[in-house]
Amino acid sequence: MSVEPRATDAALMGRLVQRDETALSALYDRYAGMLTSVLNRVLHDTQAAEEILQDIFFQLWNSPSRFDAARGSLPGWLMVIARNRAISRLRRHNPAAGDELPENTVLMPFNLETAVSQRQLVDRVKRALENLPKEQRAAVELAYFEGLTHSEIAERTGDPLGTVKTRLRTGVETLKKNLHS
Amino acid sequence: MANTHPTREEDFDLYALGALGGDEKREFESHIASCSACTEKFAAAQGRIALLALAAPPAVPSAVVKQQLMRSIQESPKKAIQVAPRIAKDPARQTPGEKERSQGFFGHWWAAVLAPVGIAFAIATIFLWTQNRSLDKQLTAMRASLDIQQHELSDAREVADLMHSSDTMTVALASMPGMPKGSAHVMYNAKMGMLMYDGKIDPAPADKSYQLWIVPMKGDPISAGVFKAVQGEPNHWMMKLPEGVQPKVFAVTMEPAGGMPQPTGPKVLVGTV
Repeated sequence: MSVEPRATDAALMGRLVQRDETALSALYDRYAGMLTSVLNRVLHDTQAAEEILQDIFFQLWNSPSRFDAARGSLPGWLMVIARNRAISRLRRHNPAAGDELPENTVLMPFNLETAVSQRQLVDRVKRALENLPKEQRAAVELAYFEGLTHSEIAERTGDPLGTVKTRLRTGVETLKKNLHS
Repeated sequence: MANTHPTREEDFDLYALGALGGDEKREFESHIASCSACTEKFAAAQGRIALLALAAPPAVPSAVVKQQLMRSIQESPKKAIQVAPRIAKDPARQTPGEKERSQGFFGHWWAAVLAPVGIAFAIATIFLWTQNRSLDKQLTAMRASLDIQQHELSDAREVADLMHSSDTMTVALASMPGMPKGSAHVMYNAKMGMLMYDGKIDPAPADKSYQLWIVPMKGDPISAGVFKAVQGEPNHWMMKLPEGVQPKVFAVTMEPAGGMPQPTGPKVLVGTV
C-alpha cells in the first residue's frame, strides 16, 4: 500500500479559498467528530447538534477568510465557535441567562490535525480533569458544558459564591499547569 | 479593571470559560477591547479552555450531515443563475401570413378554448419530462454520494473505535543516529487489527521509499505502508492488518522505490513496544 503526505490545515484552508470542495470534505472529516462530541455534550440533542455542525462548515465554506491561518489554531477556533453556539442555543430557551459569547482568534500550542494527535490530547485533557478535586472539576464542567457563571453555579449547587469562585479559580490554574506539564 | 490589566492570570481563563458575570464580565470586556497585550493573552486562554471540548464523550455525526453539507455547497452557486422570462411575440411584428393563420384559427370559439389548454398540456408534459430527467440524475448522484458517505462514516467509526478502545497502544518512533530526522507515532490495536500512523520525516532520496513495518513477537515483519515524505508535510494513514498480531517493534526503513516484501534497508525510525 502506498500512501500520500497529508495536507496541513493551512494548506486545506488555502484550497478552501480557491473553492476546492475536497478541502472542505477533508476538514470536515478531520474535525466533525470532535465538534459533534462537544455539541452533543452541551445540547443533549443530536438533531440540534448536527444543525449547528452543518451550519459551521457551511459558513466556513462561504467565509474562509474569516479564519487567519497565520495567527490561530483552526480546531481551537472551531471548538470555540461550536461551544459558543451550543451555549447560545441553550440560552435561547432561557432568555434571562445572558448574552452570546464572543468569537476571537484562538491560540493553541497543540497539533490536532491527525487522529493520533487528537487521541494523545484527549488522554492528556481527561487526565488533567481527573486530577482535579471533585468539586473543582464539577464547577469547571458546569461552566464549560452548561455555560453557567459563578453565580449560576452557586445557585445550582447551593454552595456559597465565594467558594465557587475559589474552586473555579484554583481549578483553571491547576488545569493550565497539568495541560502544559 | 476597565483601564487596568486583569490582576490575575486566571481571569483570562475564567472569562474564556464563561464563568465571569455581571460587572466582572463587563469590566473585562471593556478592557480587552482596547488592550492588544490582553487580547493575545485571552486568545491563548481560549485555546486552553477550548481543549475541555476533548473531554466530551466521543461522537460521530450521521452520514446525512456531510451529504447535505456537500450538496448545499454544490447547489449554492446555482442560485445565482437567472432564467430570462419568455417574451410573447408582438402582434405588430407578425407577417401577413401569420396574422391570417392566427385569425383563422382563433376565429373559432372552440379553438380559443382548446388552444391554451393544449399549449398548457404540452408545456406541462415537457416540464414533467425535464423534471423527471433531472430527478433521475439527482437520484443517481445522491446514491453515489451516499455510498461514499457510508464508506467515510464506516472509516470514521473505525477511527473512533481505535481511538477510544482501551486495547489500543500508542508507540513513539524516534530517528536512528545518522538517518534522516523525523518522528512518528503509531496507534495499534491487535484485537481490531487496526493501525494508524502519524509522522513527519525528512524526504528520502528520489530512488527510495520509506516503509513502515510491524515486527511481531513471532514471525516475519509485516508491511504496514510504503510512503514518500515531503519536507515539512506530515504522513498519516490508517490500515487494516491481520488481527491478533502481537508487536514487538514498529520500524520505518528506507527501501528501493515502491517498497519491498521484507525489509532490506536501514532502519530510520524505531519504536519499541
